[in-house]
Amino acid sequence: MLKIGTLVDGKYRVLSEVGRGGMSVVYMAINEKANKTWAIKEVRKDGVLNFEAVREGLIVETEMLIRLKHPNLPSIIDVIEDESTLLIVMDYIEGNPLSKTLAEYGAQPQELVIGWAKQLCDVLAYLHTRTPAIIYRDMKPANVMLKPDGNLTLIDFGTAREFKEKNLADTICLGTVGYAAPEQFGGMGQTDARTDIYCLGATLYHLVTGCNPSEPPYEIKPIRQINPGLSTGLERIIERCTQRNPDDRYQSCAELMYALEHYEEIDDRYRRKQKKKLGIFFTAAACSVLFAAGGAVLQVSAAQMATDIYQDKLDEAAKTVDYDDKSRIYQECIAIPDKASETDAYLGLIQLFKEDDSALSVEEAKILVKQIKNHKAQLLADPAGYAKVCFETGKLFWYYYEYGDANDNQITRMKSAVEWFEDTIAHAPAGDENLNMARVYANVGAFYRDISINTVEASDKGQYRPFFDNLAELMDAVAQREDESEIVRLELLELARSSLQQYAAKLKIDGVSREEMDAMYRQVSKVIRTIETTTDKTEEKKRSILSLLDDTRDAIDTVYSTDKEVG
Amino acid sequence: MNYLISASTDIGIVKSSNQDSLSAKVISTNAGKLAFAVLCDGMGGLQKGEVASSSVVHAFMKWSGPRLQELCRAGLTDEDVRADWESIIRECSEKIRAYGIRSGIRLGTTVTAMLLSPDRCRIIHVGDTRAYEIKESIRLLTRDQTVVAHEVACGTLTEEQAETDARRNVLLQCVGASDAVFPDWFSGGSCGDAVYMLCSDGFRHKISAQEIHAAFSPENMTDTQTMREKERSLIELNKQRQERDNISVVTIRTY
Repeated sequence: MLKIGTLVDGKYRVLSEVGRGGMSVVYMAINEKANKTWAIKEVRKDGVLNFEAVREGLIVETEMLIRLKHPNLPSIIDVIEDESTLLIVMDYIEGNPLSKTLAEYGAQPQELVIGWAKQLCDVLAYLHTRTPAIIYRDMKPANVMLKPDGNLTLIDFGTAREFKEKNLADTICLGTVGYAAPEQFGGMGQTDARTDIYCLGATLYHLVTGCNPSEPPYEIKPIRQINPGLSTGLERIIERCTQRNPDDRYQSCAELMYALEHYEEIDDRYRRKQKKKLGIFFTAAACSVLFAAGGAVLQVSAAQMATDIYQDKLDEAAKTVDYDDKSRIYQECIAIPDKASETDAYLGLIQLFKEDDSALSVEEAKILVKQIKNHKAQLLADPAGYAKVCFETGKLFWYYYEYGDANDNQITRMKSAVEWFEDTIAHAPAGDENLNMARVYANVGAFYRDISINTVEASDKGQYRPFFDNLAELMDAVAQREDESEIVRLELLELARSSLQQYAAKLKIDGVSREEMDAMYRQVSKVIRTIETTTDKTEEKKRSILSLLDDTRDAIDTVYSTDKEVG
Repeated sequence: MNYLISASTDIGIVKSSNQDSLSAKVISTNAGKLAFAVLCDGMGGLQKGEVASSSVVHAFMKWSGPRLQELCRAGLTDEDVRADWESIIRECSEKIRAYGIRSGIRLGTTVTAMLLSPDRCRIIHVGDTRAYEIKESIRLLTRDQTVVAHEVACGTLTEEQAETDARRNVLLQCVGASDAVFPDWFSGGSCGDAVYMLCSDGFRHKISAQEIHAAFSPENMTDTQTMREKERSLIELNKQRQERDNISVVTIRTY
């Protein structure tokens, strides 16, 4: 154990012990030359059952942590090893853990908790997007330091794994494992980003209600049952985070962050919906009175009336400028009795979501998917119409969906689009104008959806040739067309470019000739220069594609140059 | 009321130490004869689980000395017993936690303690050790504080699923390892010609309530030697069925 007053590594003077964990002691130390305070975490040999194994793990983990840079993480600046201990020198974090704040002051104000939630979500998102992804696994108030400036720091890194992977033959106690998500006990699948999302939800619950979910009654109730003054938006966010089944939670921190940034809107929407429900009730009540009085005669004219209203509303929507109003009116159109089968309102929504900010947000996607799925039976009365709606929806997802971070977004967009193209294929009558393109999109999307699995199972051979042909067809049919929107064209060029770069070797093995690859490369390189961009976003995209062209060229050259060496 | 008492514990077939602790005795007071038993199932690395379990047993046994006599003289009430027991558990929990932090290990224990008087049966309980009352039928007096039992109670898991659930060894709380401990309290009338039983979870995973009832029914349990034989036979049955945990049981026959 370090003695107070000793000089460590000739630099750090140990001032005092500041904390103690299961297998480590934390000291405050000062670098006297630089007059700066540091924390030194000492992992003691006698505190650990199998020190060698733990030290190995800690060294790997610490080296990884040294590379992390995030405002809500302590920086590790030095690792000092000797025979009996491992010393980790890191930022000294002033302040108190949130568990202390909770113990002293109980439930915390909602606005404060939302702010904290965003910081924690941000740091978790940062960890999850490292390669390989880092899962924290131990989110709880005791592991979050509240600094005097109001910002948070996530602490106690690297010990989480050691305690979380339990030998399940032995009895363990929930109290020692924090807010462990159900899957952390094993037997329910791997822990992943969604495990952290669960624990963050439980942490928020504890912070905003003052009730510890790992104490009786051991449950996470809707927070407004504990304090009706809290937000319904936050209530729903916490509920979604803490679902038993990881599939029912937010799937990524990006998704959770979006919800946190819009929790008040969720509130508003809730109120609007309640009002609307009331409205519908009165309308329905009024209608039932009317119909009871008027009988069958009225029903005939009601059908005509519905048609008139539908048309009026469509016209109104076309003229409306305000985004929210427009979206609302289209949705009202769909809600008009017997009019759910008309495609205009759906297509109007698609156009609106595409145009307002050149992106399909997660919320917009939800609205659209819900409208279509809820009315699928009615829409199918006209299969060609339904196929068109599906095809447009597929394209909207493919090119505009904003989900997740930039790295995996392209794949996510394609994966989300596939089912819509498949539905198009399933329902479009023979000879439908979109049928062929739907097949191409569906094939390319399915390729990306399945390839990661197939690569792992080494059954990917033979899939690259058809993929390449589909891609070539898409390029010819869409990218070349100057009347297509710039986003669509840029996305497609990027898809072709990145496929060439990423899969050059695989394409070659599958029999794609150098000439074919070169032709596609030239097509990308030529078309990209002809596209006039009109927004910052598309300009950025264009620049990025242009900057990566050389790498793409190199990738193709490399694949074929190895050939020459062999020959 | 009179009592016959017997207790047995066994390390089992796998573990290298027996981390269960127990004690039971008959106490004469001015309120008549009382029977007092406490059984703890410790957990923790190395050999330390038994430190946790035995320290709790010791604390309860100490209470059953002069302090219990004092309570009896003043007139034994549920409230007094409960308040004393809860503070014993709280104090033990703090001590065990502090010990764990000092030695860099994590340890804890369950506890089930029972006080039988001519008219009352009082139980305090943390974890998954159990108390039963056996007469014509067998009745579980405690509620397991385990994650799976909680889920069964909430309706999210069936009894069958609970038996194979990965979390079946996860306690909701225990003495020494949770931030705060919330013991269950049970009090009710006591019966003559009955058998009261405390056991660790190792005693009852592999054998059924019917098997326990058949062996421990009051007609069978007529002298301490037979009681001990019956306990041993059920422990052996558990071992034959490959129970891996320590196995402990206390029986009290009232008459």
